Amino acid sequence: MSANWIAGAAVRVDADDLAQVQPALAGVSRQAWRSFALMVGTVLLIGLVLPWFSNAYWIKTLTSALALSVAAAGVAVLYGQLGLVSLCQYALLGAGGWAALRVSHGLAWPFELCVLVGGVTSCAIGMLAGLPALRMKGLYLALVTMMMAGGFQVVINVFGFPDGGAGWLGKVQGSERLLMVRPAVAPSDAAYLRYVAVWLAAVLALIELHRRTRAGRSWALIRRGDAAAIAAGVNILRYQTWAFGLAGFCAGVGGALLAGAVGQLDGRAFAASESVMMFALTVVGGVTHWAGALIAGLLLRAVPALLTDFGVNGYLAMIFFGAALLHALITAPSGVAGQLVGALAALRARLNRARHSAP
Amino acid sequence: MIRIHALTVAFGGVKAIDGLDAELSDPVCGLIGPNGAGKTTLVNVLSGLVRPASGRVEVEGTPLLPMKPLARVRFGVRRSFQTEQVVEDLSVWDNVQAVLDHVPHTRGAAGQQIARALAHVGLLNVATLLGRELNLFQRRMVEIAKSLVGTPKLLLLDEPGAGLTEQEAGTLRRAIRAVPEFCGAQVLLIDHDVDLIAATCSQTLVLDFGRRLALGPTREVLDDPAVRAAYLGTA
Amino acid sequence: MDELLPFLISGLGVGAVYAMSGVGLVVLYRSSGVLNFAFGALGAIGAYVAWSLLEHDWPQALAWAAAVLTSVLLSLAYGRWLAPKLAPRDPTIRSIGTLGFALVVLGFTEWTWGEQPRRLVLPTDSLAFEFALAGGDVRLTYTRALGLLLALLMMAAVALLLSRTRVGLKMRALANDRDLSALLGIRVLQVDTVAWLLSGAFAGVCGLLLANIVRLQATLLTFLVIPAFAAAIVGRLRSLPATVAGGIVIGVLEAMAIKMPGFAPFRTATPFLIALAMILMARGNERPA
Repeated sequence: MSANWIAGAAVRVDADDLAQVQPALAGVSRQAWRSFALMVGTVLLIGLVLPWFSNAYWIKTLTSALALSVAAAGVAVLYGQLGLVSLCQYALLGAGGWAALRVSHGLAWPFELCVLVGGVTSCAIGMLAGLPALRMKGLYLALVTMMMAGGFQVVINVFGFPDGGAGWLGKVQGSERLLMVRPAVAPSDAAYLRYVAVWLAAVLALIELHRRTRAGRSWALIRRGDAAAIAAGVNILRYQTWAFGLAGFCAGVGGALLAGAVGQLDGRAFAASESVMMFALTVVGGVTHWAGALIAGLLLRAVPALLTDFGVNGYLAMIFFGAALLHALITAPSGVAGQLVGALAALRARLNRARHSAP
Repeated sequence: MIRIHALTVAFGGVKAIDGLDAELSDPVCGLIGPNGAGKTTLVNVLSGLVRPASGRVEVEGTPLLPMKPLARVRFGVRRSFQTEQVVEDLSVWDNVQAVLDHVPHTRGAAGQQIARALAHVGLLNVATLLGRELNLFQRRMVEIAKSLVGTPKLLLLDEPGAGLTEQEAGTLRRAIRAVPEFCGAQVLLIDHDVDLIAATCSQTLVLDFGRRLALGPTREVLDDPAVRAAYLGTA
Repeated sequence: MDELLPFLISGLGVGAVYAMSGVGLVVLYRSSGVLNFAFGALGAIGAYVAWSLLEHDWPQALAWAAAVLTSVLLSLAYGRWLAPKLAPRDPTIRSIGTLGFALVVLGFTEWTWGEQPRRLVLPTDSLAFEFALAGGDVRLTYTRALGLLLALLMMAAVALLLSRTRVGLKMRALANDRDLSALLGIRVLQVDTVAWLLSGAFAGVCGLLLANIVRLQATLLTFLVIPAFAAAIVGRLRSLPATVAGGIVIGVLEAMAIKMPGFAPFRTATPFLIALAMILMARGNERPA
């Protein structure tokens, strides 16, 4: 029995408290589920519609863009939820792609399983790598991850990616190099683009579920400050490691999907600078809203391709990206996605006012 | 019930707490003293953020010092901070639920516990507001609500009334006084507002230079000439 | 041992540049709190400026001067115009801002000069010291000798600046406690200017030397800042002598690793391995509460 001393005298039963607040909670919950459905629906719709408007080259480009969006979503979790700067996401993508390729060529497992193997591999590496770095100042984490990306660059340059051979490295010589076997449900390029969109929607949904439950609440407390987190009983190390694992999983899945898109991965294409670019463009795209990851992938692959189509030098894109990163850091912490969402909300509010004030 | 034996805390060469012995048995106890007396240090020792050089502390008969900070939160020692720590992006409800995520509670009764705690501090009608939409008073009450869930044993409230108006302070007083009846927890209240202490705490500990200056019924302690001299200024 | 000697010498050359880069990074970090990710990019654009001037038959000394001036001006531009806009944010974000700047400079460099690798040939390359050591004959080009000498001079100059001059004193105060120094009346803006200027000068010289030793290619030079970071990490982002030692050790080990069976293909990973080892061994870098 709880005495509501605010009201003064009335003695109320506990159950009344919960009943009183249920409608409001239910309203919030409905809204949350609506935006969740909107997110999944939008991504699936994009996947459905894009192939109708794209030629063969653009289908491939957009598929790569969506695969990178999956990885970018992981970067957004670390930076947006915990303020942690990871400069090795592309390397983790490569690691996941490596594992997926090895398993696909060596064990001929179904594609979905290969993707999961890639995701789990990078999840594990991400957590291992994150552990020693987590007890350090934020800048040291950025440096550690950058060093790891540099190390991966050297290693993968030497070893290359599996392409059908035997042994640990799975490399084969000459013309017998194999392409990764596409999923049974999506052999064609157009179908594979849709397939990748489904995976993107699934990964974004996984992240959203994290954000709305215990993990998201704990991350928010850690963001508020270590003292606040400890006072609420949050095990900071455990939840940071979890975030690293989730981000690694995103990278690994993205890498496997990229491997499936192109058929093989090139060991010379995983320079440390790629991870740096991925972080920069994820910040530009926006780290708090799910659309930010989508935008990041498009910036990484689609925009340079677009510029090439228009005959514009790709390096102008780099200048623009650098300026956009500075701008995002200085003025717009929520990135392009945040600004778009804000603009949409303002537009909706204005339309509502117009509707209510019209006679 | 808090039992403190020969507690000493040293930062470098400075003894923030020097051989403190105290037994705080009343449901709502006050902790006062001039700035630098060691009040926040004592609370930091109790919540686990600071390790003492020597001494023993027992809460409800259980030795506290061997427990790590997270274990103490699960055990039931909760604290609030001088600067409120409400999470801007979470709703009031989620702010409180975040605590229940990590402390033992009956499965399925989480919603009831949160609602009950919010009702106690009068925030039930704003449960869905986000942290950033709250005013200072509401934020402070969220802090209190957070410490009421999950069967707490001891609430350490560090200047919860700072910055409140008269009316708000009155509401806060009533909320604090009713805590032991609400959840069975003991309250240790630090504040500089002597009226708040006098109105809520039946027993008060006075610290000065890390040592115990006085301990007893609040009225007697506040009338103690030594306390008046050190803290309140001679009348 | 004889076969190792030429690698040791060449490793010293690169190591000296890593050491100098590390010093340039640490000096700036200690006084302004910003870790300059654009250090390599600033060096790259300076090297390209020198290359263009040399192609137009400018005298070598002027070309070098123009290169360093370019880096200094760009460094100052960031330090006085963009860095203050990020000043209220936490150190990580302030450093990530330089990442954006690096992309801008790198993009501009590649857009202007193109991405194909070039050689920055300096007239001093063709002349060399040749002498016989116990291990064998050693050939040290004038450029490398000049580079080593320059490295030593600049690092000594910085050490002197920090320990003997008023500006150096102020820089050390700022490094110790920025807010307190500002309260004490130290003109933070003035000291910052010196720090960014110095960092730019170091970047320009390092860019020239690396372009000569390795090759003139914007992306490569920009990301050769990573081994410089490794050297700075060896110095714990604090100690200049340790940074210098770290840079030299990294350069030498990286060069000598060619002779290690099995490890040779991975030798470019040496800076990263050393940096990771240093970080893992680091103690007392707890997160602030």
